[in-house]
Amino acid sequence: MSNKYRLITYAVAFVIILALNFVLPRMMPGDPLQAIYGDEALIAMTPELQAHLVERFALDKSLWQQFGAYIAALFSGDLGYSYYYNASVFSVILGSLPWTLLIVGTSLVLSTLLGIILGIESGWRRGSRTDRTLLTGLMGLNGFPDFFLGLLLLICFGIVLGVAPLSGAVTPYAGLGGFALFLDVLRHMALPVTALTLAHLAGSYLLTRNTMITVLRAPFMLTARAKGLPERSLKYHHAGRNSMLPVLTMTGIWLGRLVTGVLFVELVFAYPGVGQLTYQALLSRDYPVIQGVFLMVAVTVLLVNFIVDMLYPRLDPRVRHAY
Amino acid sequence: MHISLKREIKRSHFGQAGLAILALVVIAAIFAPLLSGYEPTATSVNSLQAPSAAHWLGTNHVGQDIWSQLLYGARTSLAVGFGVGILSLILSIIFGVSAALIGGIYDQIIMRIVDALIVIPMIIIVILVAAYIRPDLPVIILLLSALSWQGGARVIRAQALSLKQSGHIAAARGMGAGQVYVALKHIVPDLGPILLVEFIYGVRRAVFIQAGLAFLGIGDPMQVSWGTMMRDAMSYSYLNVWQWWLIPAGVALSLTIIGLTFVSHAAESVLDPRLRGEAVA
Repeated sequence: MSNKYRLITYAVAFVIILALNFVLPRMMPGDPLQAIYGDEALIAMTPELQAHLVERFALDKSLWQQFGAYIAALFSGDLGYSYYYNASVFSVILGSLPWTLLIVGTSLVLSTLLGIILGIESGWRRGSRTDRTLLTGLMGLNGFPDFFLGLLLLICFGIVLGVAPLSGAVTPYAGLGGFALFLDVLRHMALPVTALTLAHLAGSYLLTRNTMITVLRAPFMLTARAKGLPERSLKYHHAGRNSMLPVLTMTGIWLGRLVTGVLFVELVFAYPGVGQLTYQALLSRDYPVIQGVFLMVAVTVLLVNFIVDMLYPRLDPRVRHAY
Repeated sequence: MHISLKREIKRSHFGQAGLAILALVVIAAIFAPLLSGYEPTATSVNSLQAPSAAHWLGTNHVGQDIWSQLLYGARTSLAVGFGVGILSLILSIIFGVSAALIGGIYDQIIMRIVDALIVIPMIIIVILVAAYIRPDLPVIILLLSALSWQGGARVIRAQALSLKQSGHIAAARGMGAGQVYVALKHIVPDLGPILLVEFIYGVRRAVFIQAGLAFLGIGDPMQVSWGTMMRDAMSYSYLNVWQWWLIPAGVALSLTIIGLTFVSHAAESVLDPRLRGEAVA
């Protein structure tokens, strides 16, 4: 796929996201103001506010002019106003974003690294007892929805053993600082990160293992072996490095899965991130926040995919020559 | 294909285990009324009871029999799974085969949409849509089908493109066969195992997502489903009830997905012969 096609793909994806966000509330029967601003807005409604809101999204104009107003607002960084929180959607999301980034980032790194290492070891010893155990175990683990894994961990370590905190990201009102705060954050994120990492380990593991099996049959492996290279060098430098490439291409897609996974896991652990925010917004029909989260998550996933696509030819020169 | 898909799945350990698990779930779904003495939605005053001879898995917070909910939950999961599996497979075939046969600008447009839909995480679209319309089960099936055909379409298009080059298609075209005739008579039947693998993927994804949506409380709250059971049980996790309420629902859901994963793994080795061998072992 050449760069031109990639750009078109991302443009199409971006348009689909914008169109969904714009069209859905305006398709709803009843008052468009309610569909755009949520139930809370109607409670706070005064004639002046109504006039202002109608004007802001050009609701008294044609659909095209409305779309223009919507895009103009977006590009000036205005994601809307949440009447539930009485704050701009941007600041509401910004408040919970760091916690989600912390969990998702850690799990992405952990699950990718662990998956690659286990995949290399498993593929190298294909057919052995270790390989079979890993393959069956991880494929079984793959069947556990992340929220069920989270619940199991919560019950096991939080309720039965009582060694992990049950909810939140920090101990409330503890007034911790410095290193104690760091440890507290670590203690709170341990279970959510474990749940996400375990649930998403299988993807990178299976892909690395499959590539490893193919790479091990390549002629250059025979050459390397004939040169008398030690096993560690064969396994990691020759076969392993080549088996990592497909995993890197998938990073963007996996980020998408992790981001949806974290919505559920945060709910289980009452972790104050974007997932918890979305859930609250769903309950209170706070449409601006739902729209803002949708836009932000989708654009982030698109961006990461785009960056991975752009980096890929640098990592694998064969792709560069293929153009 | 010279490799028989059926034989391949039956010969592999993963295939056997997967089929056995799925058979269990299907039996539970079909014979649910015979296997339990209670209506899954019938409430009673005996709420949050421990397992007993009358209620094998106890009762939930509104006195419904958990064992019977577990059995009827299989129906919901399978209905969504197979419904979405078939509908999205049909969409994949339509878009994949037509893109391959028509080609040109039409192919370009379809493939760009496919790529775009692969990148956007599906669940967040469903959550956004569900925030506006409160979807019941049929609407969820339609929604998931409309959003999960892209992966299959890409694979089917690639296969259809290579089939298109083969002699018998050219012969059929030369005899005056139209595009639709060629597609239905020569291409779709030859796609064979790919269709089955894509179908299983579709089922697995749908079972997974339906449970997730129910867990979030999206959809009809009266619909008996494993996701809803886990959601309700979660709020009582400080009591002992998780042992017979939360765990069975989660295990049933996970087992179903594991069964589908195993079968699809066995079927994949048919498509990618490099992975064969271990399937036979």
